[in-house]
Amino acid sequence: MTLGRREFVRAGLLATGAAAVGIGATAGAPDEASGAPAKTAGDGPSDTVALTPDGRLVAVRAVTQVPAPQRTWDAARRGVPGRKWVMVIDLAKCDGCGECVKACRKGHFTPSDREWIRLYKMRESEETAPYWFPKPCFHCDDPPCCKVCPVGATFKREDGIVLVDNTRCIGCRFCMAACPYSSRVFNWGQPTNPSDSSHVATGPGTGMPRYKGTTEKCDFCASRLAEGELTHCTEACPMGAIYIGDQNEDAVTSGTGSTLQLSKLLRDRAGYRHLEDLGTQPRVFYLPPTNRRYAAPGEPGAETGNVNARVRNP
Amino acid sequence: MIRAAHAIPTKTPYAQQVETDLLATLQPMGRPGRLWVASLLAVCGVALIALIIQLRNGLRVTGMNDMVSWGVYMTNFVFFIGISHAGTLISAILRVTGAEWRRPITRLAEAITVFALIIGASMIMIDMGRPDRLLNLIFHGRLSSPILWDLCSVTTYLTGSFIYLYVAMIPDMPMVLRDARLHGRSKWLVRFYELLAIGYKGTPAQERFLNRALGAMAVIIIPVAISVHTVVSWIFGMTVRPGWHSTIFGPYFVIGAIFSGTAALITAIALFRRAYRLHKYLTDDCLRKLAALLVALTLLYGYFTLSEYLTTWYGGLGTERRLIDLLMGASPYGVTFWFWAVTGLFIPLGLLIMPSKRSIGGIITASVLINIGMWLKRYLILVPTLETPWIPPHNSGVALTYSPTWVEWAITAGGFAAFMLLYTVFARVFPIVSIWEVAEDAEPAEKVADMKPRERFARPAFVAIRALLLAGGIGALGAVGATTRLQAQAAQPRGAQLVLTMAVVDEEERLVAAVTAAGRPFKGARVAFAVKRVFSPMALGEEVTGADGKASVPFPSTLPGDSTGALAVSAEIISPDRLAGTRGETLMPGAPVVRAEPNEAWPPRALWSTRAPIGVIATLCTLLSVVWCTYVFVIRQLVLIKLAGREERQHRYIR
Repeated sequence: MTLGRREFVRAGLLATGAAAVGIGATAGAPDEASGAPAKTAGDGPSDTVALTPDGRLVAVRAVTQVPAPQRTWDAARRGVPGRKWVMVIDLAKCDGCGECVKACRKGHFTPSDREWIRLYKMRESEETAPYWFPKPCFHCDDPPCCKVCPVGATFKREDGIVLVDNTRCIGCRFCMAACPYSSRVFNWGQPTNPSDSSHVATGPGTGMPRYKGTTEKCDFCASRLAEGELTHCTEACPMGAIYIGDQNEDAVTSGTGSTLQLSKLLRDRAGYRHLEDLGTQPRVFYLPPTNRRYAAPGEPGAETGNVNARVRNP
Repeated sequence: MIRAAHAIPTKTPYAQQVETDLLATLQPMGRPGRLWVASLLAVCGVALIALIIQLRNGLRVTGMNDMVSWGVYMTNFVFFIGISHAGTLISAILRVTGAEWRRPITRLAEAITVFALIIGASMIMIDMGRPDRLLNLIFHGRLSSPILWDLCSVTTYLTGSFIYLYVAMIPDMPMVLRDARLHGRSKWLVRFYELLAIGYKGTPAQERFLNRALGAMAVIIIPVAISVHTVVSWIFGMTVRPGWHSTIFGPYFVIGAIFSGTAALITAIALFRRAYRLHKYLTDDCLRKLAALLVALTLLYGYFTLSEYLTTWYGGLGTERRLIDLLMGASPYGVTFWFWAVTGLFIPLGLLIMPSKRSIGGIITASVLINIGMWLKRYLILVPTLETPWIPPHNSGVALTYSPTWVEWAITAGGFAAFMLLYTVFARVFPIVSIWEVAEDAEPAEKVADMKPRERFARPAFVAIRALLLAGGIGALGAVGATTRLQAQAAQPRGAQLVLTMAVVDEEERLVAAVTAAGRPFKGARVAFAVKRVFSPMALGEEVTGADGKASVPFPSTLPGDSTGALAVSAEIISPDRLAGTRGETLMPGAPVVRAEPNEAWPPRALWSTRAPIGVIATLCTLLSVVWCTYVFVIRQLVLIKLAGREERQHRYIR
């Protein structure tokens, strides 16, 4: 680890490095590398050798380290380095089945009195079309909740996620008043925690266990994303309407497995953010509900059975 | 006892009379007084039970919910902080402007401030979900949060009000002390008075120091008081909620505070002069003068209210229109709003507006109505806005109602009872009307007349206080220089091979998959290209190999690399079936996009960050240091008074 990139090149370990990278992803090493002395990838600097379009080999500096296990609040406050998590919700695909709400509730053991992702029946006016509107926390880049928190219990991470440190929260509920999207919920009484916590990620950054008198909200499944798993809502959506991804990689993935280029998706489908005028810069984008192939809320055939009981016809 | 030998300098008969009358309030309470205290204690007891229930079960026992997350406690907080302006602000303004009629009411006013602040601050603590973590405000305090501004300004105001109340009480203390000794009060009380008297004997030197301290306090407490209610309004104003995010909220709240504070002062005067028969000092004239002030404030508050809501209604922004409909339309809030407008604004105005028609009964009625109205008004500022979220309730289907529970009402009643109790106890221990100020006013003594106002108050030798300003990519893509092609190959089924390379075709960078089977280029294989992304591969396209066995798709040159900085590109044959699964992979450099470099200085300085912007820190530090340096100056004067007292004693001894 003491070698810099220059020394790394001079030492003639180029091919080795390339091989080491190659081994991770492929079965066979390239011929050029076969004669070089074996070395493990860990010995070199964290550079990756890559091929340019004009056929040259270049070293690319890695932008991330191996994600540190988020067992301390210091690590949990920082997030996964190099990532910028982003969500896209395709309103044209959402049929209001409410599977996202259910999966979220199951995955986060949310008590029955609250939802981290809510399913709204939107209708701006009589003249405009109704549509379903799943609404998680928007993890804004200029988060009004973090602005007002007196103790820094809610904070913005480097990877874009806004989390709550429920061991620091004093329960003033200023963040709830400040959030224009009503994303936050409060533990008004002693909350129920899962009795068997062996399958539950607990500790810093997981939102578990819950504490009386503290705020909580959708955490973008921070501990799942760190391990390369999709969020609960994304995974559960049968329509593949919810995408999650890394903006740095310019790609988002849906629960049905399709991975799309984020910038292209937003450009082609006229992606927007809810209440953009408020200047909060949400990290959740919506694709307009055009050409829907399902019944909208209030229309005959609209699927309402799965929707939580609190969501009812206006 | 040398000290006891020092009698107060000879007094005029009037001053003597004042002293006797006003010290009489310190006599033990009669039966009605005890009954009053007992009933207040009973209410406090019920509140205590409610509080214990709330602490045990959490805020679940209140009517608050996830949408209406603040309620009666917050209303009480704003109300009591408002009442607190009665006091110090009125007393200080009148003192600075030299209004002589203030003399009998200053202490009443200043005491309201101190106790209202204590109750207001406790209301906030009761409203907290985790009062046990209160100290986090100090350990983890974020200077960008209006709550921290509130914490700073309220503690500063409370400290200042205590000092101000006390400094103005010093000249009374020797008299109180003498009276306590005379009546054989308890040893502890006498010792307490002795401590507070700091050896004040009214020597010219001591008087000079006292006036300096009073002058400085009276001046500095005015901006502090204004800041307090401004900052309280900012707890609401700094959010982007309809009905709260208003630029006039600061002044609107300050006016509301002085308005309700003046009404509270009039109510207190009425109660005290009745209970202690102090009509001689707390005169009708005094009430009339306050009533004149109250008229002006009623009109001003009405003007601010009109200005605020007319603008909101006329502009008619979506969410704000919904709020106005809720607040003034046919809803319980609408009824409350118009009830307030009539009883809290128009009736008091009718009772007060004509000086000739102003009766003492009318003034007191108006004050009581204004106080009730202002509590309702604070509730109306708070709750309807919380019931008007940005996403309309008819879309969310979420319950949006709030009605306080008995626990909240009990604690509210307890807050008011505790306030009155503190006040009653205070009036029992200290003269509620300032003896020296009243006596000084009526004394035609040359001593007072000689003193020019300028010398008495207007020149607090402020030390100029300096503002304390606290100072607070992508990695370079180095060319390695090797021209070797890096080709990674997957295990190939049935002798087929797929080699993934890059080529520039017609000035376009293309990803080329060369498929060979049994050593010869294979035509007609469908190849799917993809690039690895964090959760799953992203498809780049599919192509069928031509006669040269090659298929190509455009290279995603704008696509940034993955977490290693590179693009892991892959190609896989999907048909014909016998070749399916043959893969080739390679690494390519990602596009040089602007991406978050691991930032050692995370989080950046921002309003939302735990690192406050320099401007916020500098402003807060400057303001606080100006005020606290003034406090230090005032306390220094008190020390000088004490020292002057000792010198005086030595002088006498030598003589």
